[in-house]
Amino acid sequence: MNLLKRLAPLTQNQSPFGLIILIAMALFPLMSDNIFYLEIIKLAAIYAIFAMSWDILTGYTHEVNFGFAFFIGGAGYLSGILTSHLPVSPYLAIPMAALAAGVSGIFIGYLTLRLKGPYFAMATLAFASILFKLSFILYGITGGEEGISGLDAFTDDPTKDFFVVWGVMVAIYLVLCLYARSKHGIILKAIRADEDATQSAGINTAYYKIEAFAISGFMAGIGGGVFTHSQMHIGPTMLSGYLSVIVVLLAMIGGMGTIVGPLLGAICLSIVNESLRIVEEYRIIIYTGLLILFIYLAPDGLVNLKFIKDSRLLSFIFLGDRKPT
Amino acid sequence: MEILIIGTVRGALYSLIAVGFVLIFSVGGILNLAHGTYYMLGAYLTYIFYTFVFGAGGINLLLISAILSVLSVGIIACLVYYILLRPHIQSLLYVMVMTLALALFVGEVMSLLFGVSGTRVPSLIEGSISIGGIKVINQQLILIPITALILPALWYFLKKTKMGQGVDAVAQQRTGAILMGVSVETATLITSGLSASLAALAGALIAPVSSVVPEMWLFPLIKAFAIAILGGIGSLVGSVIASFVIGYAEILGSFLISEQLTELVALVVIILVLVFKPSGIMGYKLR
Amino acid sequence: MNLLEISNLTKTFGGLRALERISLTVKPQEILGIIGPNGAGKTTLFNCITGFLPFDSGSVVFDGHNIQGKKPYQIVNLGLTRTWQLLKPFFGMRVIEAMMVPSFSKRARSSHLSKKNEKENIAGILQDMGLTKQLWLEVDNLSQGELKLLDILRAFVTRPKILLLDEPFSGLSHKEIENISRLIRKLNNEGLTVVIIEHRLRELMKLVQKVVVINFGNKIAEGTPEQVVREPKVIEAYLGKRGT
Repeated sequence: MNLLKRLAPLTQNQSPFGLIILIAMALFPLMSDNIFYLEIIKLAAIYAIFAMSWDILTGYTHEVNFGFAFFIGGAGYLSGILTSHLPVSPYLAIPMAALAAGVSGIFIGYLTLRLKGPYFAMATLAFASILFKLSFILYGITGGEEGISGLDAFTDDPTKDFFVVWGVMVAIYLVLCLYARSKHGIILKAIRADEDATQSAGINTAYYKIEAFAISGFMAGIGGGVFTHSQMHIGPTMLSGYLSVIVVLLAMIGGMGTIVGPLLGAICLSIVNESLRIVEEYRIIIYTGLLILFIYLAPDGLVNLKFIKDSRLLSFIFLGDRKPT
Repeated sequence: MEILIIGTVRGALYSLIAVGFVLIFSVGGILNLAHGTYYMLGAYLTYIFYTFVFGAGGINLLLISAILSVLSVGIIACLVYYILLRPHIQSLLYVMVMTLALALFVGEVMSLLFGVSGTRVPSLIEGSISIGGIKVINQQLILIPITALILPALWYFLKKTKMGQGVDAVAQQRTGAILMGVSVETATLITSGLSASLAALAGALIAPVSSVVPEMWLFPLIKAFAIAILGGIGSLVGSVIASFVIGYAEILGSFLISEQLTELVALVVIILVLVFKPSGIMGYKLR
Repeated sequence: MNLLEISNLTKTFGGLRALERISLTVKPQEILGIIGPNGAGKTTLFNCITGFLPFDSGSVVFDGHNIQGKKPYQIVNLGLTRTWQLLKPFFGMRVIEAMMVPSFSKRARSSHLSKKNEKENIAGILQDMGLTKQLWLEVDNLSQGELKLLDILRAFVTRPKILLLDEPFSGLSHKEIENISRLIRKLNNEGLTVVIIEHRLRELMKLVQKVVVINFGNKIAEGTPEQVVREPKVIEAYLGKRGT
């Protein structure tokens, strides 16, 4: 009974739109046999995990993490190494790798506590670059440029694999929603607005900042591990600055500080990216151009657009905001 | 001896790039992640002007191409600032992401136009000379006197001319400058153009002896960022010093240990500086 | 026993002596005013007492605790809360959310019954102060006076023993000042000790029992409002030598 009570916040303030996206994704394999499209949606789900994990830190504190690939690729490689060199199953390796990512989050969070703005961004970028370089230097374990291939998948069936990924994504979505609407999220928003004032309210801001970093890292680690075993391969691209930037873009365009926004951003943009394959030669240019346009027109993201926030109906549908009468 | 010369050349190259980067941040608060792109465009545009506009007709036209390239980049930077950045300039995240997206975009365009393998740009000064028994490529060498001319000229501009003093005022103490009637927007506009032109100049000069590829915007950007942190954001002198320090350190490092390891060490140093002394060696803390 | 004891507090910025061996005491349930010309060091004093600025020498003992070296949030959790001279609203949050933040502090949590109860409690406080309509609005939509009031109410949620208010009346209308003064008197009657920095001397003197005057980092006078106002040094500080 107590558990039900604690889970109650999950149902309150849920974004109907977010739930619709989640359910629609689950219905897809039931309505179509197309494995190719299934793989696309599966990848989109994984990027959604990345984007949501990034959002819980940067969206809520506005300190820009520009080296998110550190957690994604770091955990991805760790999971790959554990399963390829030792007889560990992915179901065990991924949480372990994610845990390592979470602990690094505590470490990095502590070191960067006093850094703000560009300094914070640079530090996160530096950490990711170090890991990136290491993946080449330690090519014996990491396979250098080629990465590690032939890793274990989750199941023997692409559809079942899809549901594993989908399940993880939904779990992370719900957990992050719960976290964001709890006192932790409120405190992070307060820190974002004014850290001194939050201290004056008796809050140990350092603790909550580090905690957010750790959770962000842990979730990203899960995403990285899931990526590795769903693609059965991990390579240096998952540690690259390019990945870090894409995650930022997906979350930003969707709408930072909402959890639903990044979910939306990741799914939509992944689908757009894939549908552009018909003009493969110009795909990346058009895609990047679109991203620039989106950011210019909606710098706070799509779900944070003024007309949505100002409208009672729309802010309920997209953000789950319920204004009392 | 070879280390000394090549290190100096590197330091000169880096200082041209880094000074612009630091300047636009001090003046406009803009963390321009497209700065490396301006460097890259300096190289590519020189090639484009020379090959397509002037039909590859001789050294003089090459020189003009380089100059046109530098000017064009300056204008492009002004446009980027005015149209794309100004509307949401107060958000650091927006500026960072927008300039980075632009950098990716331009990189892709270059990749489409010229392919992933290097583009050959002819040298302004061919050949090499021998200094103290070491063969040094002329094209690299000219960086030193050019930088030695440009940097003092920049200093003169900032400290002695009226327009420059306005820019300098904004860089040092924004609120004070506003109270004195200096237009921050104008200062930022001028600085955008200036900063990009410096980077483009570096790109145009080094193009003949370096690999001109669509990814060439990334590393100068990272170097500029690192130099800004070490030298202190807000201090031009600090960034020049840091540029040479990093230039020499890199050369030394690649001689003594592998290049990969040197970069790794550099990254660790950056983190250590950030954690323990974020204001850098000579700069002041972020306002 | 003194609730707050400041002894020989000194703070230097580079070559500038911001605070010079300041000593003062605050008794429980006292309302103390701190006045002085601009730049005298009053806010610096607050910053040192509340852990936002380290001080060079002297001691600050609050409720028996030596607070030197403690972090600001730790001092708040001991029962010493402050407000700020410049408004510090929590932009981007709803009013009720912003008010909940201090209720998450260790001190507040150990004294309230349940989260729901606390939320109702806070809503009740807001309603008492006439802010019912604003409960669900975003902080960004509030007026200056409302934000000021919110800052003070937020401070109160931490259940302080002593509340330091830095220029609570600045920028407010007479009616709003009356409102806040009434609130302070009410809280004081219920046991709260208050220290107020202010420039609006007329309104301040009606509220406080004791006044301390600071100029150029030095305490130059101390006493009841009537005594202090007559001190030549105080008049000189505000009006210059010709004022005497």
